Amino acid sequence: MRKKKEIVLTILAIIIALIFMVPLFWMIMTSFKNDFEAIAGGLNWIPKEFTFENYIYTLQQTTEVPVFRWLFNSLFVGIAGTLIIVTVDAMAAYGIARLDVPFKKFLFPMFISTLMIPFVITFLPLYMQFSNMNLLNTYGALIFPYTANAFGVFLLYQFFKSFPKELEEAAYLDGANKWKIFIKVVLPSSKSIIWTLAIFSFMQIYNDFLWPLVATRSPEMRTLTTGIAVMQQGSFVSSYGKLMALTTLATIPILIVFLIGQKQLIKGITQTGIK
Amino acid sequence: MAKSLSKERQKQQRISKFTSFLFVLPYLTLFSLFLLFPLIYGIYISFHDYNLLAVTHNFIGLENYVDIFTPDTSLNTQFFRGLKNTLQFVVYSVPLLVIVGLSLALLLNNLPKRLTGFFRTLYFIPYAISVSVVSVIFLWILDTNSGLINKYIMEWGGTAIPWLTRQPYAWIAIVIATLWWTIGFNMIIFINALNEVPDDLYEAASIDGASAWDKFRHITIPTIKPITLFVTITSTIASFNIYGQPHLMTRGGPGNSTEVLLMGIVRRAFEQRELGQASAMAILMSLLMITVSVVQFRLANGKKRGES
Repeated sequence: MRKKKEIVLTILAIIIALIFMVPLFWMIMTSFKNDFEAIAGGLNWIPKEFTFENYIYTLQQTTEVPVFRWLFNSLFVGIAGTLIIVTVDAMAAYGIARLDVPFKKFLFPMFISTLMIPFVITFLPLYMQFSNMNLLNTYGALIFPYTANAFGVFLLYQFFKSFPKELEEAAYLDGANKWKIFIKVVLPSSKSIIWTLAIFSFMQIYNDFLWPLVATRSPEMRTLTTGIAVMQQGSFVSSYGKLMALTTLATIPILIVFLIGQKQLIKGITQTGIK
Repeated sequence: MAKSLSKERQKQQRISKFTSFLFVLPYLTLFSLFLLFPLIYGIYISFHDYNLLAVTHNFIGLENYVDIFTPDTSLNTQFFRGLKNTLQFVVYSVPLLVIVGLSLALLLNNLPKRLTGFFRTLYFIPYAISVSVVSVIFLWILDTNSGLINKYIMEWGGTAIPWLTRQPYAWIAIVIATLWWTIGFNMIIFINALNEVPDDLYEAASIDGASAWDKFRHITIPTIKPITLFVTITSTIASFNIYGQPHLMTRGGPGNSTEVLLMGIVRRAFEQRELGQASAMAILMSLLMITVSVVQFRLANGKKRGES
């Protein structure tokens, strides 16, 4: 009876998994078809003529599709943004949770209340701000707006609040100052939660769409997500083979990050979900 | 002597507070520059006649807001058309995002333990992909002439469905793409919530001869209620923010029927170049979103109090 139920559910789970995988499988298979086969070729799950021409074209036409530049931009912006977020959020969260920061009774609620504020309210003034300073189309414009988000401060604050005081006290008695304790005692014990924040931040920045779309104009400052959008409405509009080669290339790095960091990501989602 | 000691202590305290403040200073700076300042600046812009091409931007008070609520102005049309379309998407997507998310979590929880992790990863993978990749994939799968779905429909003797160029198909296409992309997030939250339902409750119910359905209705549902509400709120906010899918899949069509509010704001700002009007639209949209989430939150807490 129990066995039978398990078998039925497993079959159901496999069917749903297939539905989830079809779009990705179709993307990868289309990327190996020539344009004619992609558009005309009937129900060909596996390409009749397996070709690498879409990848070769996408990777070689660097003036039309600067894939490597876009990949570099996305990775650079994602990594730099993540490093800044992790550093400043950890410091701020620790300060507020554990140190005698002046006005913290006022600062912390102010940070947290902005979690309710949607991005739509700040993206136009941010655009004007960077435009006034002539900084649109720069890495600064692509990085800094993400670093103001209070999510990380909130996440780490909860962790530091419940961090055992004894470790810090022992270090204080040994004569260490706040910075030393923060770097030598607190941070090493917070690796897991910091990884969680890092993966969240990286995925958000790497995959973001609207902000990089309005903050960049020139092709060489595009990120992968906005570059794909430009190609889809531009010269790749009728060549799905090439478009799929481009999206496959764009998806590989983030998929690797996702599969490696999945556990941390799930942990972060459930931790924020409970509160 | 005592006085100088307390002065010494005061000085130490000041130094200590100062060094502590240095911990918060970097974030506070970024927060002020890229969140607090734009917030105020946005309100300022919304009070001005702010055309991007004009040299001067006159203060016009609440005129942009008044225009939004004045019937038959182009601003009024764009705002309420966008609002109507966004609300449609919220109504179509949120119940599915919650129910399908919970269903997948229930399915995974009842699988043999060693399979759970594998399927969880598979269902969760699309969440890692960017909206432009998701949109391009679904554009291709739902293409009228050579898309995968229509190829099958025609193979089986049906007529091709114009997924992206006719309603209600355009909404169906956008909702399906959104579900595929984001459902894993809600599923993960529900899996965690289901794991926290105490086992002894189920055991006690089994002894009393309760059926699986009884247990689900009287134990699972009440226990996960707060999480269900959390998922509903976050899904509502996410659905309000929809932009990429209609921008890339339907470009707001057919006939502006999927021109969502955020898309209207972007067009107002960068096509009509009326930044003041666009800012007023953005502020109203934000106020609406904040109100909706506060109401949902209150509703949740009110109910909780009523139960206890």
